[in-house]
Amino acid sequence: MGVLAYVAKRFGLYLAVLFIGLTITFMLPRLMPINPVDGYIGQIQSRANGTLTPEAIEEMRANLEVLYGLKGDILTQYFSYLKRVVIDFDFGPSFTYYPTEVSTMIVTALPWTLGLLLTSTMIAWLLGNMVGLVAGYFHKHKAASVLEFVGILLYPIPYYILAVTVLLLLAYIFPIFPLSPTFPVGEMTWAKVGMIIYNSLLPAITLVLAGFGWNILSMKALAVATTEEPYVTYARLKGASNWTRMTRYVFRNALLPQVTALALSLGMIFNGALLTEIIFSYPGIGLIMRTAATGGDYNVLYGAITLSILAVATAGLVIDLIYPLLDPRIRTK
Amino acid sequence: MIRLNDLKISYRIGGRTIDAVDGVTLTIPDNCVVGIAGESGSGKSTLMKAIYGDIQSPMSFSRGSIDYGLKGTDGKPVTAENVRKEWFKTISYIPQSSMNSLNPVIRIREQFVDFPGTDSDKKRVLERARAYIGKLGLPPEAMDSYPHQLSGGMRQRMMIALATFFQPELIIADEPTTALDVVVQKDILMLLMELQEEMGNTILVVSHDMGVHYQVTHKMLIMYAGRVVEYGDTDSVFADPQHAYTKMLIDSLPTIGDDSMRGVIASQAGAGGDRAYRVEPNLIEVKPGHFVAQPARQKEGALA
Repeated sequence: MGVLAYVAKRFGLYLAVLFIGLTITFMLPRLMPINPVDGYIGQIQSRANGTLTPEAIEEMRANLEVLYGLKGDILTQYFSYLKRVVIDFDFGPSFTYYPTEVSTMIVTALPWTLGLLLTSTMIAWLLGNMVGLVAGYFHKHKAASVLEFVGILLYPIPYYILAVTVLLLLAYIFPIFPLSPTFPVGEMTWAKVGMIIYNSLLPAITLVLAGFGWNILSMKALAVATTEEPYVTYARLKGASNWTRMTRYVFRNALLPQVTALALSLGMIFNGALLTEIIFSYPGIGLIMRTAATGGDYNVLYGAITLSILAVATAGLVIDLIYPLLDPRIRTK
Repeated sequence: MIRLNDLKISYRIGGRTIDAVDGVTLTIPDNCVVGIAGESGSGKSTLMKAIYGDIQSPMSFSRGSIDYGLKGTDGKPVTAENVRKEWFKTISYIPQSSMNSLNPVIRIREQFVDFPGTDSDKKRVLERARAYIGKLGLPPEAMDSYPHQLSGGMRQRMMIALATFFQPELIIADEPTTALDVVVQKDILMLLMELQEEMGNTILVVSHDMGVHYQVTHKMLIMYAGRVVEYGDTDSVFADPQHAYTKMLIDSLPTIGDDSMRGVIASQAGAGGDRAYRVEPNLIEVKPGHFVAQPARQKEGALA
């Protein structure tokens, strides 16, 4: 199969995944027991001390339904939804923060989440793989099991316990980091950048610690298995150095499944964002998603979930496209 | 000339010591192909590892010595202590599993230069290697391919190219043709023998195939239970085997139209357990250059 055909096939699959994802996203909030229009009318009603006439309420309801794309039967809603999302990337205004556009909210929050989670996921992956490779390659040495122990120790701790412990330890008992971080807004200056990095360090540390353990254990297991492969033994009998064997033989082969794991975890960062951002009151997508879920804010939910779907599907596409570069055996098929 | 003096190699596994090679004394002359035969567990591979100098836990050198009689690249004699530095320079190795002895994710040319070798100029090595593999019946482009793009026979040719490229004095081939079909097997063996004649070095070939031994080796070494049973010129060993075990191995070669094989296999199955023969470490020279362990004839009830 040619390169073009391969890429086209993968891309077609990508589009299909996005389409199915969008359809499910459309359905899910409509199964929730909260009706946002009723909630909104209730709010106005109470503000007006119940003086609104039923006619006025009916009129308001009709207006709101048009505004939020809830007019007509479900099929009409679905098509207008697809048109808006796919063509304009427009999710309408937020219910809770009316009249702020959902896309504006997402665009504001996205750099925060991406900056924190992409960086910490990458660092956890790099560190975990390096430690795991050494632990796996030298698994016959006693000292290497200390490295593995780090992984065994960290991996099973649930993230919320780890995060709260680190928060208590480094912000309360030893107040190195601020307990409730402040993030400056407006134009960026170097001082502000420094402040953001300082305030983001604590959540970043918890994320690295949480991701680190799994990467160590996974890479260690892969490296141990690869060390026993005949080509590694043969390289040793050729007189290739430990470094060559560890990097070019064991690492290059054990890397393949780890790249898949990395891409998948990058796709899942918006899910990881939720807990981190709530615990550390970090102004990212996770915080927005949580507010939207409790307030029945359809439009924000659509926006945030669509973004997650986009991220997971894109990560899958990226794996499919870079894997042949790492594994020549896939290239020729 | 390689001399093994009362060599004993043991494995320590869970507090138990197993002597896989137990008192082997023999002399391997220069410019000679030596075939090593014997059943699985007879100590062939352990002996080869010991000669190659690849001794690592749980394997250990418990007695005896190896006298290589070779000069290393630095002009000093090769000893059991420095033999690792001579790997793929004065002494090289052809592995059993050619199918997966090459790293699947990097190009073959890179696997030609990722170890010290005798020449530190990698570019020059590659240029010469490209020409060299042509002589071995491989297209020069094979250097630029990944292992999975080559057939099994090509891969084994590549292993032979790697092992012979630096013109070593000693090559150890551990069942070099087991994974190949008979036609390719023959080509590979012929190639190896041609190269040996050209280089005038010593090759130790481990194989279970007595036919292979008969075709290509100058000398035969028969091992059993960690000891040498019989050692001599191949012609002499095949024509006049002294030990009962050697006889049985040679008799196991099937002949077209010969039905007596069935009986041999049946009697083997009947005898069951190992150590059916008693083998002493001392060899007796029955003819010039033809040694056999005592007792050569086994008691009634043992095999043969």
